[in-house]
Amino acid sequence: MTAEQTDRVFEGIRIADFAWVGVGPLVSKYLADHGAEVIRIESSVRPEPLRRAPPFVNDEPGLDNSGYYADFNSSKKCASLNLQHPDGVAIAKRIVEHCDIVTESFTPKAMRAWGMTYEDLCEIRPDLIMISMPMYGLTGPWSMWQGYGHVLQAAAGISHLTAYPGEEPIGTGVAYTDFLVPHFAASALLAALDHRQRTGEGQNIDFGQMEAAIHATETMVLDYTVNGREQQALGAGHPEHRPYATYQCAARGDDDDRWIAITVTNDAELAALADVAGEHSWTSMESDALDSAIAAWTRSQQAEELMERLQNAGVPAGVVQTPEDLRNDPQLAHRGHFWMLDHPTMGHRAYDGPSFRLSETPAELTKAAPLLGEDNEYVYKDIVGMSDEEYVEHLVSGAFD
Amino acid sequence: MTTQTAAGPLAPFRVIDLTNELGQLAGRMLGDLGAEVIKVEPPGGDESRFIGPFRGDVVDPEQSLHWWTFNNNKLSATLDLTTARGQELFTRLLDGADFLVETCPPDAAAALGLGVEALRASHPALVHTSITPFGRDGPYANWKATDLVGTAMGGLSSLCGAPGRPPIRPTASQGYTQVSAQAVVGSLVAHYQRTRTGTGQHVDQSMQEAVTFTHDNASPTWDIRGINNGRPGNGREIGGYKSGQYVYEAADGYVAALSYGGLFGLTARQTIDWLDHHGMAGDLTSDEWMAKLDATQGILIPPAGEDADHLNEVLVDFCKQFTRAQLVSEAQQIRNGWGIVHTPRDLLENEHLAARDYWVELEHEDAHVTYPGPWAKLSKTPIRVRHRAPRIGEHNDYVYGNLLGCTDDEIAELAAQGVI
Repeated sequence: MTAEQTDRVFEGIRIADFAWVGVGPLVSKYLADHGAEVIRIESSVRPEPLRRAPPFVNDEPGLDNSGYYADFNSSKKCASLNLQHPDGVAIAKRIVEHCDIVTESFTPKAMRAWGMTYEDLCEIRPDLIMISMPMYGLTGPWSMWQGYGHVLQAAAGISHLTAYPGEEPIGTGVAYTDFLVPHFAASALLAALDHRQRTGEGQNIDFGQMEAAIHATETMVLDYTVNGREQQALGAGHPEHRPYATYQCAARGDDDDRWIAITVTNDAELAALADVAGEHSWTSMESDALDSAIAAWTRSQQAEELMERLQNAGVPAGVVQTPEDLRNDPQLAHRGHFWMLDHPTMGHRAYDGPSFRLSETPAELTKAAPLLGEDNEYVYKDIVGMSDEEYVEHLVSGAFD
Repeated sequence: MTTQTAAGPLAPFRVIDLTNELGQLAGRMLGDLGAEVIKVEPPGGDESRFIGPFRGDVVDPEQSLHWWTFNNNKLSATLDLTTARGQELFTRLLDGADFLVETCPPDAAAALGLGVEALRASHPALVHTSITPFGRDGPYANWKATDLVGTAMGGLSSLCGAPGRPPIRPTASQGYTQVSAQAVVGSLVAHYQRTRTGTGQHVDQSMQEAVTFTHDNASPTWDIRGINNGRPGNGREIGGYKSGQYVYEAADGYVAALSYGGLFGLTARQTIDWLDHHGMAGDLTSDEWMAKLDATQGILIPPAGEDADHLNEVLVDFCKQFTRAQLVSEAQQIRNGWGIVHTPRDLLENEHLAARDYWVELEHEDAHVTYPGPWAKLSKTPIRVRHRAPRIGEHNDYVYGNLLGCTDDEIAELAAQGVI
C-alpha cells in the first residue's frame, strides 16, 4: 500500500468477511466505519442467522428486513455466494485474491472443507491477514464445538459471576460475549494490519472467543489460583463498596420499572448522599439498614431528577437506562452515538457508531446495511473481473444463491 | 510457526499509562500486543494497588491481585505530576512515547498537562487516549461513575436481572472492561493512521458509550418495534420476544443451553430425537408438536405461552438426569451449541484450555502465579504474557536513567525531593 493521505483511515483496505452473527460482523464494522471496503459474503441457501432474527420492520420477517443484522453491518457491501455450489469455492478464492484481510467465525471444519484455510489462501495472497474466530479456537478437543454468545458467557465464567446472591447463575440477558470479544479480535487484527503496513508481512490469527472472554472476569482467576477462593456473584453489588446497588424509583407514567444505581466509594460520597437525602444519620448507619433506608427514599423520587441531584453533589449515581432512554440521552446525543441511515427496505433507522471519538479521522457510517447480494455486479465484475457472459453463467447456475 | 522470542506487533512502540481502574486493562492490552508500557504512578503507589482482593487477604500495595491482573506486561516509574519538575519529566517521557493512555477527570486534565489541545500542539505524533466515564465533553462529562453507574447508564443493567427484581451487573466490572477494550481499538485505528501519515490524534473514549454497545438487539428493537427489551432473568429477549430459559440445572451443576434447549428453530427436530433417544421427549414426538416446531425453523421467533412452558418443563426434567459433561457433549453431537456454566475451578481444570496451553505461569519474588494467557494467537507476532506487574517504582532507573539520560545523582536527588 502507498501511504496516500486521505481522511479515511482504512481507505484502500479490502476485506472478505465470511463471518456471521456478532463476532465477525462487529469486528469488520470497525474497519468499514473507518473507510475500509468490507465485502460481506453470504448465501440465501444458508442465510446469516441474524438476517432471520427479529426485530423486523412492520414485524414482517425477511432476509433484508432485520434490524438485528442491520445494526452490525453499517458501511459494508454484500456479495451473495453459495459455497456449497461446485463453483462456489473457486469464486470465493478469486475474491480473496483482491483482499487484504479475510475474517471468518465458523467452526474450523468449514474452511478446511472448502480448502480455504490461511495456508491455502496464502498461496493466492502471500501478505494476507486472516482472522478465524471460532468459539473455542482452531485447535484443541472442543474446537469443533458450536456456540453462541449467550452460552459462551457461561463457558467463560461470566455467568458464574452474574446472579442474585446465592441463586442460580443467570448471566446477563444479552449474548454478552458477542459484544465483548469483538473488541479484542479487532485489537489483534488492527495490530497485525499495522505490522503489515510497516513490514509487508501478513499473518494468521487464531482467535478463540472463550480465551478472550476470560479476560473480562477481573480478579476471578487470580483469586482462585493465588488464594484458592471461588468468587461469587453479588447481584448489583461490589465486594468492597456499600451502598452499591440499584434502587427502585417513582413510576414514570404507567412505567413502574424505573431504577437508579447509587454507589458510594468513600466517606465524602456517603456524606454527600446523606446530605442530598437530608438524612445525616446515614453516615453512621449499618449497611443493611442503610440499604433499606435508601430504597424507601428513592421509591418516591423521580429517577432522572435524583440522578442530577446526586451527581451535582458528587455521588456516582445513574439511571438504569432502557433502550428508549439511551435514544433520549443528552450525553450520547452530544457524542452523536446513534446514526440515522436510510435503508432501501427498512427505511430511516438508527445505527450504533463506535464508542470512541477520533479528533482527526472520526468514524463515518457511510451507508445502511447491505441487501443480500446488493453488490454482486460490482464485486464480480469490477473487482473479480468477470465478463458479462461469465457473470450471467454463474447467476443462472445458482453459484450466487 | 512462531518462535518463543518473536516480538508482538506493537514491539517498536512505547505507551505511557496514566490509568486508574477505569482504564488499566487498556494499557495492559497494548503491553500484551508487545508495546513497552510504562505505568506512571504517584510516589506512594497507584490507588489501584489498594483494590482487593489481596494475596492471603493482607492489604499490601505489592500484593493486590487487582494490580497483578491489570498491570502485568507493564513497567513502573513513580512521578509526582503535581510538581513543576514532575511535569517537566513527564513531557520528556512523552517525547519518546507513541501512546498516552489516561483516565484523568476532564475538569482536572488541563492542570495536569493533559489538555487535548496542548498535547496536540506539543506532541503532534502522539496518540492520546482519554478514558472517562462519559467522554471528555458534553453535559455529563464531569459526572462520576463507578462500574455499576456505567453499566446502568449505558443500558446493560436494564437487560440484566429478573423481571420485578433489581437490575444487576456481573460481579466483575464490565463497564471498565468494555471501555478499556474499546479504547484499545480506537487507539489502534489512530495508530494505523499515524503509521500512514505520521500524525497522531486524540481518542475520546466514554465508558457509558462503550457499554451502550452491549445492548445486543435492544436498540434496533426499540427503534423498529417501540419495545424495550427488559430483564429476562434466566432467559433472553430477542427483538422484543421473550425467549426461553437458558441455564438448566444438571446433576452436577449448570449447563447453558439455548432457548428451550434448541427445541425451536433449526435444531428442533434433532433435539426432539435426542430427548426421545433417552425416552424423555414426552409428547413432543407427536405430529402436532412436530408441525409447530417445524414452523419455527425459517424464522427465529420463539414460541410463547403454554407451548413455551411445556417445552421448558421437558428440558428441566431432562437436564436433571445427566451430568454437565454428558449433556453438553451429546448436545454438541447434534450441533446444539450448549456449554458448561464454568466456575473458576472448572476453568482452571478445563481440558480444552490446557490442550491449547492457555494458562501462563509468571514468576513473582516468592511465588509462581497462574494467569490467563494470550487473548489471541498471532502466527508471526505473538501476544505474550511476559512478566508480572511491577513493584512501586521498580523501573525508575531504567526510565529516568536509560530513557531520559538522568545521572545516578540526579535520580537520587529527584527521589530525595519526592518527585519520583
